Amino acid sequence: MKRAILVQRNDSMIDESKNIRQFIELQDLTRSANYEVVGDVVQTRGPDRKYQVGRGKVEELALMVKELGADGIIFSNPLSTTQIYNISETCRCEVIDKFQLILEIFAERATTKRAKLQVELAKLQYELPKAKAIVSLLKKEERPGFMGLGSYEDSYEQDIKSRINRIRKELASVQKDNESLRVKRHERGFSIVALAGYTSAGKSTLFNALVDENEHVDDMLFTTLSPITRALNIRGRRVLLTDTVGFIEDLPHWMVDAFRSTLNEIFLADVILLVVDASESPDIMRQKLVTSHDTFWEQIEGVPIVTVLNKVDRITDDELEERLESVGYLTPNPVAVSAINGLGLDELKMEIYNQLPKWKRDTVSLPMSKYGMSIVSWLFDESIVHNISYKDRIIVDFEARDEIIKKAKGIELKPESEHTLT
Amino acid sequence: MYSIIAVDISGRHKINDRYYMVCAAVSVSITADHIEKVNQIKIKTFWLDSVELTDIIQVIEDTAKEIEFEGTIITEHGEMYNQPEGVVASMFSRDFKYQESLGERSSIELAHHISLCTRNLLLNELGIDS
Repeated sequence: MKRAILVQRNDSMIDESKNIRQFIELQDLTRSANYEVVGDVVQTRGPDRKYQVGRGKVEELALMVKELGADGIIFSNPLSTTQIYNISETCRCEVIDKFQLILEIFAERATTKRAKLQVELAKLQYELPKAKAIVSLLKKEERPGFMGLGSYEDSYEQDIKSRINRIRKELASVQKDNESLRVKRHERGFSIVALAGYTSAGKSTLFNALVDENEHVDDMLFTTLSPITRALNIRGRRVLLTDTVGFIEDLPHWMVDAFRSTLNEIFLADVILLVVDASESPDIMRQKLVTSHDTFWEQIEGVPIVTVLNKVDRITDDELEERLESVGYLTPNPVAVSAINGLGLDELKMEIYNQLPKWKRDTVSLPMSKYGMSIVSWLFDESIVHNISYKDRIIVDFEARDEIIKKAKGIELKPESEHTLT
Repeated sequence: MYSIIAVDISGRHKINDRYYMVCAAVSVSITADHIEKVNQIKIKTFWLDSVELTDIIQVIEDTAKEIEFEGTIITEHGEMYNQPEGVVASMFSRDFKYQESLGERSSIELAHHISLCTRNLLLNELGIDS
């Protein structure tokens, strides 16, 4: 296990609780990336152009690295290429920032082709604005035979750009496949429900509790990187539930872009389950909810949201009430749940059912024939059959999507000569 | 459901060495994820020499006081030059906060469309060369 020292520079104007929260989050991320935290440094001051923190602090860090035998330094604040270069020159060890750490975690967890492409794209997008600086820093230590004269800054940048384009194209084709899959699922009568929320809110535990499965759950950030989908039956409606990657505060735009095809699983759902850890303090809950709303903004276009207040087994009813009072304005359709012991799951399913795209109820009269029976069997597959009576004709009272009702009505009106089994 | 006053200002660039600004204040009743009802809309125009934070606050206060409904004033972070919420709130004579929920964001988007369209229309109608 690699040993790391964590560093955070706080702005004096920023609220103290936010600083603490960000530092705890950095610790969790470091743990998730398999690092051992051997020391930490926090400084409150304005940003330094050369070192991010003060020069004196960097010298202090260099001593700490030697004494504690650290393999690397992880900054909570984003670092420029020059800052990384200067700090690693002084401290003589690897220096990364929070976003590079997230990328490390993603790279390690990426298993599917899509996830791997997304991680590569995120890495390249992270590198792109730094490309020129990287080459000019490398050229500082230019040796005979190393590149030599010429505008390598441009060619390196161009190379990154063309790789980004290539990956975008590949991702677009994956996305196209997913789009058609989504359309097919809708055609087959499935509604799509996506789990979303801050990382470590308990989305995977809730997913397992709802679909009765055993997907990998860990007390770590970003356990789920590729979306996992399972079928579920809610009061006769067939639903596909998708577990997705968690959100994180201040996620840079290039990272949201890179994970667009995964996030689309959320944005293009019929219902979104926004999972929140209700056992945390109201202030932290508020921050995490704001981050989730921020990620949803301009993406979900009116998709209904059900807020799942998870982990309620860890708090009292009064505490739950207090939380609802202070963050109620950020929680559409709240349902209290404990995924781990199954509390509130029925209420949650009921709420999901209420928010699903509405189905209409209708009656259709079918001929008492082989053809008529095949239509009955199709109706049982595609809709909820409330009542059926077999007399001269088959009368079916059913509930379904508009398209299914229209199709059934069309069959009802068809002349008998056209009744052929396909 | 609760009521807020969403505010947006358009025109933070100079015209003939001054700023022609249009401020839209919208009183809306919202839920966490959508607007339920628009209660009232007020629009005011201003010619300003500077657009310091205090000037912006004065513009917002002047427009919002014309709204007959109660509610916290809500803006985007950028409207207040990304200054910390506590600092900005202490400069207002009434409740203020930055946008958080989807409902609040939609309300500000509405205010933004109103202020921008109004300003474009007025520039056109009054023959102000931008």
